Amino acid sequence: MELVIILVVLAILVGIVVVLYNRLVRLRNAVVNAFAQIDVQLKRRHDLIPRLVESVKGYMKHERETLEAVVKARNNAEQIREQIAGAIGDSQAIAQLGQAEGALGNILGRLFALSESYPDLKADQNFRQFQEELTSTENRVAYARQSYNDSAMNYNNAAQSIPTNFVAAAFGFEPPVAMLEFEDREEIQHAPDVSFT
Amino acid sequence: MTSFNFRAQQERTRRHTAMLVLFFVAMVAAISLALGLLLAIVVGYDEGADLLAIDPSLIIGGAVFAAVMIFGVALVRLISFGGDGARVAQALGAEEVTVDTQNPYKQRYLNVVDEMAIAAGLPRPRAFVIKHEKGINAFAAGSSPERAAVGVTHGALAKLNRQELAGVVAHEMAHIANYDTRLNMRLMGMVFGLVVLYTLGRGILRSFIFIPRRRDNRSVPVALAIGLGLIALGLLGVLGGRILQSAISRKREYLADATGVQFTRNPSGLANALKKIGGGTAGSHMDNSHTEEARHMFFASATGSLAGMFATHPPLIERIRALEPHFDPATDPIWNEDDKTMLRESRREVAGPWG
Repeated sequence: MELVIILVVLAILVGIVVVLYNRLVRLRNAVVNAFAQIDVQLKRRHDLIPRLVESVKGYMKHERETLEAVVKARNNAEQIREQIAGAIGDSQAIAQLGQAEGALGNILGRLFALSESYPDLKADQNFRQFQEELTSTENRVAYARQSYNDSAMNYNNAAQSIPTNFVAAAFGFEPPVAMLEFEDREEIQHAPDVSFT
Repeated sequence: MTSFNFRAQQERTRRHTAMLVLFFVAMVAAISLALGLLLAIVVGYDEGADLLAIDPSLIIGGAVFAAVMIFGVALVRLISFGGDGARVAQALGAEEVTVDTQNPYKQRYLNVVDEMAIAAGLPRPRAFVIKHEKGINAFAAGSSPERAAVGVTHGALAKLNRQELAGVVAHEMAHIANYDTRLNMRLMGMVFGLVVLYTLGRGILRSFIFIPRRRDNRSVPVALAIGLGLIALGLLGVLGGRILQSAISRKREYLADATGVQFTRNPSGLANALKKIGGGTAGSHMDNSHTEEARHMFFASATGSLAGMFATHPPLIERIRALEPHFDPATDPIWNEDDKTMLRESRREVAGPWG
């Protein structure tokens, strides 16, 4: 009789551990997936910028310096992105990427501010399309980051609270993952407002 | 950003819906039981037994038969619909928007759908537009996120700005993420099962009116009683089912508003879209003849003629106040905007000052 009780209790305990373990796996996979999504969207942003620069070059002849700075900031961000692809745990690398993206956002903001004084450019259908694409890309990056931060928070909450934290420690789940903050947070979040009508 | 607490609102709504769905199932069970009882009484009477000595196994057998029939009909209907959102969209007369579109409004719309799918962490649903509808409305369909479709009316594309459109699309993504589209299809199937009860009862009655009587007088009162019972219970069930379905739908609308704001983190986008519906002359009304049976699916009330217990959507003003507690229709500039201003503002955003 005692044996049966012990076995039942053991089975229940094992069942609980399995459920908690699976929950941690699911949450961690969500974090990995959300991080990959940011990478996809940053790549989209970086791919768009050379085409944008190409299309405005003809109109903005007097802004060569700014255009060069845009390309430089873009190349820098792209380089960092390629380096850290997949390195979720590396909060230092993520902070670096955040800085590079922030710098790129700032210089792009300046470019669009300058475009205000080129009415021909603003009327150009192509340019308007780029503007929409860029607005959308900024939103995508922001939403991908928001989705990543939400899933990181869910994972951290689970990995740090009782009783999941015991399971996390026993099976070597990674320590809390870093949240993402970009320097141009405000600008990205209000990207639609900086449209240049 | 306001202090709108979307998480608490979601929690409350989930509890309410669970209770209403339970009511619905209990109602179907009660109707099945009543049918079983009716059957047992009628058969018992027919066999000349005492009314009080009815056979309990007959009651249970009849009840199980009725329940299996209602659920079976619901299941067949669900399977025949297939759960493919794109098919539902096409049945509503909507046209798919593809990535090669050159229309700047549609390009923006596709981008917004992409953005909201990213925010929701779901695959991108297929995107549709209902042409020729001047009202501002939208829908989501499909039994799972993988087979989902969203659609907006032409009026929504033309009158909303980017943030408002994002609010509307986020609301529809929220319906998909919360599996409202699936719940709604199931409820529609159950109501249909109850409709079939009524139809069956009417069929039995008709067969006695139109088919020349055979000289078997004994079975006439039995069939008559069963037919009338089916009609009464079927009608009762359909009525109750509609009321419960509408109550559930109203709860899910609040939930989708809250979840949509969780995606955009921008309550004013959604609030302003709702205000434009309230202010515009076309509102959310749809001329499409299919809308009556699909009215549960839309962003805002599509028919507008029903209120109270049968309304599928909460009143606009209450939905706006859930997002902006101090909203006052009398003084709000967007609520009082006319259609022309909406169209002009939106065109300025899409095509620029010279577009």
